[in-house]
Amino acid sequence: MNYQFDFHFLEGSFGSLLAGLRVTVELALASNVMGLVLGFLLCLLVMSRWAFVRWPAQLFIEFFRCTPALLQIVWFFYCIPMMVDVYIDPIVMGVLALGLNLTAFNAEAYRAGVQAAPKEHIDACVALGLKPWQRTFCVVLPQALRSAMPVLMTNGIGSLQQSALVAIVAVADLMYVGKSLATQAYRPLETYTVVALIYFALSLPVARLVHVIERRQELAHQR
Amino acid sequence: MHLDFFSVLPYWLVLLKGLGLTLAFTSSCAVIGSAAGFVLSLLRMSPSRWMKAATTLYVEFFRGTPLLIQLFWVFFCFPVVFRLPIPPYLSVVIALTLYMAAITSETFRGALKSISSEQHDACIALSLSPQAKVLYVIFPQALLRAIPPLLSNVVSLFKESALISSVGVADLMFVGQNISNSTARPVEFLTTVAMIYFLVAFPLTRLVGVVETKFLRRFA
Repeated sequence: MNYQFDFHFLEGSFGSLLAGLRVTVELALASNVMGLVLGFLLCLLVMSRWAFVRWPAQLFIEFFRCTPALLQIVWFFYCIPMMVDVYIDPIVMGVLALGLNLTAFNAEAYRAGVQAAPKEHIDACVALGLKPWQRTFCVVLPQALRSAMPVLMTNGIGSLQQSALVAIVAVADLMYVGKSLATQAYRPLETYTVVALIYFALSLPVARLVHVIERRQELAHQR
Repeated sequence: MHLDFFSVLPYWLVLLKGLGLTLAFTSSCAVIGSAAGFVLSLLRMSPSRWMKAATTLYVEFFRGTPLLIQLFWVFFCFPVVFRLPIPPYLSVVIALTLYMAAITSETFRGALKSISSEQHDACIALSLSPQAKVLYVIFPQALLRAIPPLLSNVVSLFKESALISSVGVADLMFVGQNISNSTARPVEFLTTVAMIYFLVAFPLTRLVGVVETKFLRRFA
C-alpha cells in the first residue's frame, strides 16, 4: 500500500467536527436520560397485574426490539410530521426515536433487575407498612438499578452508536459532518478514520467501566 | 390524513425480493461471522499477550464504533487501501461479517468460560492433541451453550443489515424507502416494511426463549 495519508485538510474543519460531536453527545445523553427514566416505568407496566396494561407495554417493547433502528428513525422523521401535521425540530425528533428505542431495551434490562430483588424485601415492605410507591421507588428501584447497571450502560453505548443513524435523515451529527467532509475533500480514508476514532474514544471508557462493574458484581456473588 | 394500505399490495413482489436479499446477507454473514468469532474468542484466550491485546482491540473497536461508519469505512476506504475495485455487495458482506465476528466472539468467550476446568484437565489426562481438544471437547459444548445468545446476535445482525441500504444495496429497507419516496406514501410503506421486519425477527426472539428453556435444560 502506498497511499499518501494527509490529515492536514482536517485542521480547517476542526470546528465543524466539534459541532457535530456536540450534537452526537447531546443526542446520546438526552436519549439515555429518557431511556433510563421511561425504561423503568415501562418495566413496571410490563410487570403489572392487569393484562390490559401488560399487553400494550409488551407489544411496544417487542416492536422496538424487533425492527431496525434505522427504520424507526426514518419512520419517525417521515411519518410523524405527516400524521400529526406539525413541524418538530429534527434534534428533538432524533432524541424521541433514539430514546423510545432505548426505553424498550432498558425495560427488559430493568425487568431482570427487578426480579433479582429478594422476595424477603417485599415482605419487609408489607411488614413496615410502606406504601406501594415507596416500595417501588425506595426499595425495588435502587436494587434493580444496581444489578441492571452493566446492561443499562451497555445499552447506553449502543444508543451512542445508533445516534449515528440520524445522519441518514440529515441531522448534522458527527457522522453527517464526517460524511460531508469526506465527499468535499475526496478523502474518505482520513475522515472516516478520524470519525471512527472519535466514536471509539467516547465509548471505550464506558465499556471499560462496565467491565470493572461486572467483575465487582461477580466477586460479590462469589462471596 | 387519508391512509390507504391497499396501495402496498401491487408492490409485494419487489418487497419480497428486498426481503430475500436482506435474508441472504444476514444468513451468509451470520455463518461466516460466527465461525470467525469462534476463532477470535480462542485467540483472545491464548497465552500470548500480543495476540490477546490485538484481538481485544479488534473486538472493542468494532463494538465501540457505529456499524454505519464501519460500513462506510469498508465501502469507501478498502478500495483505496488495497487498490482493488471491490463491488458494493462484497464490501457490505465484509463489513457485516467483521461486525458479526466481533459480537459473536464475546458470546463464545462467555460460553468458553462456562466450560469447567475439569474438562481441560481431562483432556490433558487423556493426552489429547490441542486440535482434538478444541474440535471434539471444547467446540461442541461451547456451541451448545452459545446457541441462545448466538440467535440473539443473528436477530441483531438482521436488524442492523438495514444499514446496507445507505450504500445503495437494494435490501428490504432500501426498497421500502424507494417506493415510499416515489409514491409519496411513507406512512403505508414504511409501516409495512416495519411489519415485515417484525414478522421475521419476532419469532426468532421467541425461539431464543424456547431453546433456553426446553433444549438446553436437556443437553447442557
